Amino acid sequence: MAEFITALKSELFLLRHNPGMQLTLALPSLIVATQLSIIKLSQTGQAVRDSLLGATELDPTSAGAAYGYFVDGLSTGLTLVVLILVTLSAYSFAHDRDCGAIRHPLICRISRGNMLLGKLLTLVIAGASAIAVLFVVTWLMSSLLWDFGPVVEDGFELISENEIRSEIILGLQLALLPLPTLLAFGMLISVIAHSTTQAVTMALGITLAMDIFKATLGEASQYIFFSYLPSLLDQSYLRDVGQIVRGYSDVLIDAQAVQLNQFLPIPELLLLTVIALFLVQKKKL
Amino acid sequence: MSTENGEPPLQIRDLHKSYGQVEVLQGLDLTIDAGAIHGLVGLNGSGKTTTLDCVLGLQSYNRGNIALLGYSPAQLNQAAGRIVAIFDSPSLQPGLTVRQCLDHATLLCKEPVRTPQEVEALLGISRYSKYRIRHLSLGNKRRASIANALIGNPGFILLDEPFNGLDAEGVEDVLALITQLNRDEGTTFLLSSHQLPYLERICTHMAILHQGKIAMCDKTTDLLGSQLNRVNVQCDEPSKAQQIIGEQRLGHAAIQNDGSLMVELADIGPGQLNQILVAAGLMISELRPQRQSLETLFYDITSSNKSGEAHG
Repeated sequence: MAEFITALKSELFLLRHNPGMQLTLALPSLIVATQLSIIKLSQTGQAVRDSLLGATELDPTSAGAAYGYFVDGLSTGLTLVVLILVTLSAYSFAHDRDCGAIRHPLICRISRGNMLLGKLLTLVIAGASAIAVLFVVTWLMSSLLWDFGPVVEDGFELISENEIRSEIILGLQLALLPLPTLLAFGMLISVIAHSTTQAVTMALGITLAMDIFKATLGEASQYIFFSYLPSLLDQSYLRDVGQIVRGYSDVLIDAQAVQLNQFLPIPELLLLTVIALFLVQKKKL
Repeated sequence: MSTENGEPPLQIRDLHKSYGQVEVLQGLDLTIDAGAIHGLVGLNGSGKTTTLDCVLGLQSYNRGNIALLGYSPAQLNQAAGRIVAIFDSPSLQPGLTVRQCLDHATLLCKEPVRTPQEVEALLGISRYSKYRIRHLSLGNKRRASIANALIGNPGFILLDEPFNGLDAEGVEDVLALITQLNRDEGTTFLLSSHQLPYLERICTHMAILHQGKIAMCDKTTDLLGSQLNRVNVQCDEPSKAQQIIGEQRLGHAAIQNDGSLMVELADIGPGQLNQILVAAGLMISELRPQRQSLETLFYDITSSNKSGEAHG
């Protein structure tokens, strides 16, 4: 255990002294803040034009719209987080092996397995930090630019704020659960690949390919953790939450998919980690 | 530094390693004594780096036994920093500064005995402490690698091509540092290098790796002293001296271009030769026993095996 703690401290030290990686992890929040600002600017421009034309009264705020934009912002941000984390996890081990920096800790203090687990946990911590920052930034931007409130139609409250919040929490939970599995996948690719470039291109390529092919896999795609991650061709529950919080009543929730989303990523995480741990023992470093 | 039961710090027995069909190591045996500076020399592709990698557990081997301070290669992490290695390429995080690398090494070291400032001063890289590794010259990267290894108190240091990329001053610094650590702290070294003259200067023992095996391994003085029967004689009448040596069957003498006499002695020592020549009325201005250089010994071994291969 002491050895694992040393491995973790070592990896956290490297993360702390890598401003490039910190900036990369802050990137989704910056992009989402920009996205929401542009949407607001565009809405305001449209409202001013309509007001000048006498179409509507100038109303810079849209009551209760903030939750919708908040979820949109989270979806965009998490999609970017997914791509960044899979890249970083594929990069981490392969880069250290390529530059030889992995050798000193291995000879000095840390076993291969603990090093891999240390890297994995560090990436989980880095990912969690990036998502926490993303959540706060998106919340702040949404609350600054729009008002949070229930979904109301003709004076009748369709969905209360509590219901909206619980849906958002469930959507976030389901979107975040496969992230450690994604990191284990990236780490496995990192161990298998012969170079950093190969590792990154393989991991990104497979992630994007899975995004494209999951639609053609039908029900089989429910057994692959990639299906539950926010992505460019999003099928995650968070996408449905974006519809629900806007008051759409025709959102079809697949209960089996939600259940699989809750339980499937964990065994897949374990499987990918065990394979990576097995292969790293055999690898020439 | 030897193991607790007094065994040599490094023992390799019957080490075999193949890359596909190519068997690079074909039953390598090597023992390194405590407190030795042991050189490992060989041609390109002879398996020097492979041997070090196998010893350090960085790659697997087909069969054989390796014990480094009593640990197998897979258990080296349990040696808690008593074993360190400095590689051919500077194996440091390129994005970190020198000081950050040393802080990282301190974090990894169970019992650091030197501060980052001390090792920077020791290696003469204090003014580069805020430079990122990727911005350093090759020589300074190597210095930083060595500094990284010296944070702890290693009892055994393996160096792969330690002189690559170093200028003359850097080489002298590294040679002095190795000698100092060996003398003051009893650190055992295994050095793999092509720079034979440097190894000859500092290594107490030498092993020549050829065709996947240790072709010769002994104390450097014994290896290079095997040709002490050859002497170079400067005298006033070299042709007379040549005649005396021939007549008295003292050995075989040949006059060199510079007028000196190269004598292959038969059964007598250089002192006796001196006595005989002086007694014959010759004035000897210099009588120098000829030691074989590591370079000539190395080429003799590798070329004789090559010709053996050609014939066999």
